[in-house]
Amino acid sequence: MMDAAFIWESFSRLIAALRVTMSVWALSVFFGAFIAAGVTWMRGSGVKPIEWFARAYIFVFRGAPLLVQLFVVYYGLSSFPVVRASIFWPFLRDAFNCATLSCALCTAAYQSEIFRGALAGVPHGQVEAARACGMSGFLLFRRVIFPIALRQALPAYSTEVISMVKATALVSLVTLWDVMSVALKIRNDTLVTYTPLLIAGAIYFVVNYLIARAFIFIEQWLSPHLRARSA
Amino acid sequence: MAWTTALGFGERGWGPALLEGAVLTLLVSIAGLAIGAVFGSLVAWAKLSGARVAAAIGEGYAAIFRGLPELLVVYFVYFGSSAALTGLDHLFGGEGFLGVPGFAAGALAVGVISGSYQAEVFRGAFLAIAKGELEAARAVGMGRWLSFHRIIAPQVLRFALPGLGNLWQVALKDSSLISVTGLSELMRTSQVAAGSTHQPFTFYVAGGALYLALTSISDRVFEFAEARATRGMRREAHR
Amino acid sequence: MPGSESDSYALTVSGLHKRFGSLEVLKGVSLLAREGDVISILGSSGSGKSTLLRCINLLETPDEGIVTVAGETILMRKTSKGRSVPADRRQVDRIRSELGMVFQNFNLWSHMTILENLIEAPIHVQKRPRAECLEEARALLDKVGIGDKANFYPTHLSGGQQQRAAIARALAMRPKVMLFDEPTSALDPELVGEVLRVMRSLADEGRTMLIVTHEMGFARDVSDRIIFLHQGLVEDEGPPAELFGNSKSERFRQFIATERS
Repeated sequence: MMDAAFIWESFSRLIAALRVTMSVWALSVFFGAFIAAGVTWMRGSGVKPIEWFARAYIFVFRGAPLLVQLFVVYYGLSSFPVVRASIFWPFLRDAFNCATLSCALCTAAYQSEIFRGALAGVPHGQVEAARACGMSGFLLFRRVIFPIALRQALPAYSTEVISMVKATALVSLVTLWDVMSVALKIRNDTLVTYTPLLIAGAIYFVVNYLIARAFIFIEQWLSPHLRARSA
Repeated sequence: MAWTTALGFGERGWGPALLEGAVLTLLVSIAGLAIGAVFGSLVAWAKLSGARVAAAIGEGYAAIFRGLPELLVVYFVYFGSSAALTGLDHLFGGEGFLGVPGFAAGALAVGVISGSYQAEVFRGAFLAIAKGELEAARAVGMGRWLSFHRIIAPQVLRFALPGLGNLWQVALKDSSLISVTGLSELMRTSQVAAGSTHQPFTFYVAGGALYLALTSISDRVFEFAEARATRGMRREAHR
Repeated sequence: MPGSESDSYALTVSGLHKRFGSLEVLKGVSLLAREGDVISILGSSGSGKSTLLRCINLLETPDEGIVTVAGETILMRKTSKGRSVPADRRQVDRIRSELGMVFQNFNLWSHMTILENLIEAPIHVQKRPRAECLEEARALLDKVGIGDKANFYPTHLSGGQQQRAAIARALAMRPKVMLFDEPTSALDPELVGEVLRVMRSLADEGRTMLIVTHEMGFARDVSDRIIFLHQGLVEDEGPPAELFGNSKSERFRQFIATERS
């Protein structure tokens, strides 16, 4: 079980599968951010039906387990002839696309709440001061609201991004060959239980650690105003 | 089969099975949260006590289980506990394989993960208790156990409620991963029904809807509990 | 169109009404400010003084009344629900850029250095060249006495320094009229003096200033005129000597008696 060659071979196979894990992760976080921006905008739009839709979206995609969402998209949608005949089918046939889409929709709900909290946390006085100088609209958003909200959002955003890395393990249950499913395959093939799972665990752990460090670095780089002044 | 029949309570309907699955989901989540509370309070106590080794172990535990995918932990606990049980059995002369029931393994897995987050909730809640209250308890002559269960524990619970409410929702959703052990909770039941009736959309959406129902009801329950628990408490300045 | 009379005023306000829900805070307030006037607005809390100031640069929208800044009247219109709103948002932005406002809580932008705070609006709102804005900003910081803090962040400065920076930021816009909303109320007592000194020097320079304040001594020494507001109306108005010595308003005399303590 602790044979070095076996460990090395498992490790390389798992690292190769990391590509799938990281692709699903990166694409879903990235597109999820845009969807989230849209949902946040809708939530604060002031138009009741649009607001209601955004709140329903957040409720559904945050309240239901990701696994259910994945299965609805991958197994559920493909069961409809009308979907199979549509222009979306070439996209939706592919498990990778379905999984990424589903993960994006899910993280968007969480990210949207993070954005909303961050925007609400921008000190009202600083916004007023900007208005009093004649700033409004996009200029006001770009120069004052967004930069401050961004810094407020970073800690929670970092947590969500790392959650998504862990969530990608679920795509192993919709036929994708990510780190999780390769680890299980090694176990099934060799009947060795712990080694592949431990190595997989170590890989996930290191990835998450690196992402956490990266965020800390970004936070410090963006917040010289929060550091103690030595002068 | 029309989806209304498939979901219904008739002879070929899966309605009852889904509801049973939902109940099992509820039970395993409660068990998981309870196990998490045990781990969480142990770790919180370790960190608060100042004992360096215990605190380090606590932090290590939290770091590990926050950095690992939940699905991986479920598999690990499921395979691991079965192996441990089998090993124990062999020690006593048994043969063959003993599997740990999915419920126990699942609850343990959810609990171990939840505990790593509950530790922070408890720690924060404890730190939020005004030191003066503890001193007053001592001054009146309350011993350690008395001041713990009359003053500290109730207060920690009050402050911890919002955080625990969130973690409960997380536990509910994590419980869907226990389906991989074969336990007939809601997710697994939906899967079986979907396969049997070839109506995946119907049953996964129905399963999702039931999860949402559980979430909503939980929200109300926690709101009520928080309102009752914070009667008479100093309200934080809400701007 | 503004008449020839309002052309000579830096700021005119006539018949301002403002309601918050069922509470009428301003019940018809008017004032005139010529160029170079320093006007202090006094009154107890709830009298509407801050609301008056905030209606001038439209941080609050008056329900009725006309505001004219340097001869330009702010155009208003009624919505379908009968609410009063500015008719031209661009005009509002432009007029705001001609008014400098100093807030009680400074409201410096926390993610920018002091220097960046000063050049932000001149560059992005007034579209002036960066080099010019930088030069002027540094000069202003020296003028208010914090030239060495240009590259510091607001959180690293004391309250008095932050408020002086906020004043410099308002000055950087080259405003026609400066509005001060209780500029020293949030400061520790020992820091009040440095801010009042700066304001006094601005008054001496001949700037047009409207100051809502509780600092009686300052108001008395520095203002050309005092306006006393009570429950949304102007109770009394006139040069400090006249008001502080011999006010016609019983309420004002009571007011200064209690404030003095």
